[in-house]
Amino acid sequence: MATVTAAPEQAAPRIRSDRLERIAGQALALLASLLIALLLGAVLIVAYGESPAQVYGAIWEFSFGSVSNFGYVLAIATPLIFSALAVAVCFKGGLFNIGVEGQYLVAMVAAAWAALNLDFLPGGLHVVGVLVVASLGGMIWAAVPGVLKVKTGAHEVVTTIMMNGIAVSFLAWAVNFPLKAQEIPAGQNVDLRTDVFPDSALVGDIGTTFGVSRGAHLSWLLLLAIAASIVVWFLLRRTRLGYEARAVGSSPGSARAGGISIGGTQIKLFLISGALAGLVGMQQILADRGYLGLNYVAVLGFTGIAVAFLGQNNPIGIIFAAILWAVLSRGEVALQIETEVPREFVIILQGILILSVVITYQIAKRRLAARQLQRAGAVGSLEDSAAAEDIEGLAKEDR
Amino acid sequence: MTEDGGAGRTGAPPLVVLEHITKRFPGVVANDDVSLELRPGEIHALIGENGAGKSTLMRVLYGMYPADGGRILVRGQEAKIASPRAAIALGIGMVHQHFVLVDPFTVTENVILGDEDGAILDRSEAERKVRELADTYGFQIDPRATVEDLSVGEEQRVEILKALYRGIDILILDEPTAVLTPSEANDLFGNLRELKASGKSIVFISHKLDEVLEIADRITVLRRGAVVGETKPAETSKATLAEMMVGRPVLFRLEKPQVEVGEPVLSVRGLRGEGKLNGIDLEVRGGEILGVAGVEGNGQRELAEALIGLRQPEGGTIELEGTDIGGRSVEDIRNAGVAYIPEDRHEQGLVLDMTLWENVVLGRHDDAEFSGSGGVLFIKKIKELASRLVKLFDVRTRSIDVYASTLSGGNQQKLILARELETDPRLLVAAQPTRGLDVGAIEFVWRQILEQKGEGRAVLLISAELDEIYALSDRIVTLYEGRITGEFPPDAAPEELGVGMLGGVREEAVG
Repeated sequence: MATVTAAPEQAAPRIRSDRLERIAGQALALLASLLIALLLGAVLIVAYGESPAQVYGAIWEFSFGSVSNFGYVLAIATPLIFSALAVAVCFKGGLFNIGVEGQYLVAMVAAAWAALNLDFLPGGLHVVGVLVVASLGGMIWAAVPGVLKVKTGAHEVVTTIMMNGIAVSFLAWAVNFPLKAQEIPAGQNVDLRTDVFPDSALVGDIGTTFGVSRGAHLSWLLLLAIAASIVVWFLLRRTRLGYEARAVGSSPGSARAGGISIGGTQIKLFLISGALAGLVGMQQILADRGYLGLNYVAVLGFTGIAVAFLGQNNPIGIIFAAILWAVLSRGEVALQIETEVPREFVIILQGILILSVVITYQIAKRRLAARQLQRAGAVGSLEDSAAAEDIEGLAKEDR
Repeated sequence: MTEDGGAGRTGAPPLVVLEHITKRFPGVVANDDVSLELRPGEIHALIGENGAGKSTLMRVLYGMYPADGGRILVRGQEAKIASPRAAIALGIGMVHQHFVLVDPFTVTENVILGDEDGAILDRSEAERKVRELADTYGFQIDPRATVEDLSVGEEQRVEILKALYRGIDILILDEPTAVLTPSEANDLFGNLRELKASGKSIVFISHKLDEVLEIADRITVLRRGAVVGETKPAETSKATLAEMMVGRPVLFRLEKPQVEVGEPVLSVRGLRGEGKLNGIDLEVRGGEILGVAGVEGNGQRELAEALIGLRQPEGGTIELEGTDIGGRSVEDIRNAGVAYIPEDRHEQGLVLDMTLWENVVLGRHDDAEFSGSGGVLFIKKIKELASRLVKLFDVRTRSIDVYASTLSGGNQQKLILARELETDPRLLVAAQPTRGLDVGAIEFVWRQILEQKGEGRAVLLISAELDEIYALSDRIVTLYEGRITGEFPPDAAPEELGVGMLGGVREEAVG
């Protein structure tokens, strides 16, 4: 028998650089996209008769100009991290959970109930209880499309969109009837809302310690979000479930032939996704407002899809993507205060960013595939390696 | 092989001359100073192992890759071919292994796609042209049929028609028979002979030596990017060609290990399912290889999938050493000692964008050896296993950390074999285990399967390649329309098997 040509051990150092290369490539692509977005944005600003330097300067100032400003950014990023993680967990298993939106709305209702009713729990346990109930709420809402998908084959995109609609009405009903405020303090608006939660149900501020103003409401939910990212990374990369999820996500046939239960794996992923989604709304009701009302901040679930995409569904990448998104969102305030440019400009900027990222990630992927192909070629498997087919496929797309 | 066909027109000036073509990819020279002549009206076979540079060379000619050195002459004129479009303009067409057809479109719509006349489609006129073209070369195809309703063989005809419609004289076919059944391959050969008779030149890329000897007028052999020789079918033999390709003598008949045939390991009785399995009875004993021969589409895939638990049988029993495993989960059946080499290694064998080490434990990742009760993977242990298996099975890779997609087909198959055989199975179900592999890799896979027999394991070999059935089997059964239609000794004549494969001997065998 022929001798082994490549000793895997020898190649190990090179591989580490492979991974670095991939991550560096994606980071570079993101940076390039940001540049494109800023350049196109500059054209718009000029068309609006303002100076791009001044507008971008204001956005920068409002995000990084002071510790307090950066605190605001992190507070905005906190729910986005949970939301993007919820999307990414499902995505890794080949599922497109559009339902994070509905899951976090339902979870806010569950949390509001727990905040108002579990106050008998001693000390710090109350807020923990609230978070657990919120996650359970998200899980229940995610379980429905999960079970429907596995048992009936109903596509999760359709069912989760439907569940989102129901969730919006459910929240409205909840603050209208069972959880409606008993007493509206004099002088406050009469929006439909719950009573104010007891302090024991609220999450503590961590910003003031570092000089962030109290108004930012930077809470330890940020630390929880970062911890969740690490846990999700570990789950996907180091555990049996994560392994099965990735196998199911990228090759269901091979996973099945390997004895992995596709349905079982998908339901577990939906539950984990729902639990993460359940925490999305906690920043606004437990750190920011202290009650749940009809004036809640919506579409965080949909924004999570964009953030997960920016972070390429990598749990650590998502943290940075969420911060980037938050910087732009924070820019809305900067624009209103410092410039004449309407705040909607930020939405345009975010839109351009996503569009350019779609393109630059694709370019990065091609370059990486080309390099892989070359290296595979070095071992003498050039022609029929799947990498070669990739390149060929991309070449076809080009034509 | 008695006549020298169109290659007799040696006096005619060559249609295409490739002179000293060199194509480098970083780290590898895919084509090293390759020269080749293509004459009018000949079928020129380009053979070599996977990675020998055959497809690369033809992609250079078809304008997909720029050459780093050398030049191309078409009809005596030096040509710069910068794109497939330029190649087509010069009368050069190529049909790839993977077809690019629009499924919901008709044959005609696919053929004229990208080459429509004017803004308004004259459907009947286009259909007439396509029909005429098909009739000229004896292509059996309905121009109005929708592509998604066609068989693979018919889709290939559409691809060839697409090229012909654009008026090409030189047709490059990249491994055209890899996706065809034997009878479809025969039809294709008929079409190719018609094309040749009408003066077209054909480059036929392949690594199947029998068919090359049957169809080619001239044969050029590539190895590691360089031409090792040019010959004609009449002047060479399968063994000579194989040795030229691989660089060492290749055995087509391997020594079968002599072992005592043991107790029945697998007993299948009256297995039915989904209209594809209509009461299959078979038995495989320890130390025995049972070859299931048959034309594809007669229930082979369904049989293999029922045995491993991917399909629920609707009737009958499957017993493994006396225990009924019919209808159990894949996990249970694997744990009971069944290993599986799927006919489609990308669909059912590997997760292509996972690393080699991750693929090596697919199906065993929940063994106590590889993950704890808490669900955490023991990555170090898995990597140790992967390193060991990669060496043991000679999987050519620079690392176990690369994606399975970076391996060649042969090495992917070795990885699957390594994983499946490492479990010390009682029964190996091998479905088309050498599909798409080159000679060297086929020999490797065959040796591994014979070794299983030597270890006293039972092997069920399902194959559409009679060569393979003969090379490995101790007993042969033929499968036709979901039934076993005959049982044969390993030295039965191919004609006898052929009758069984067409369902003929059932009455005789039973009565």
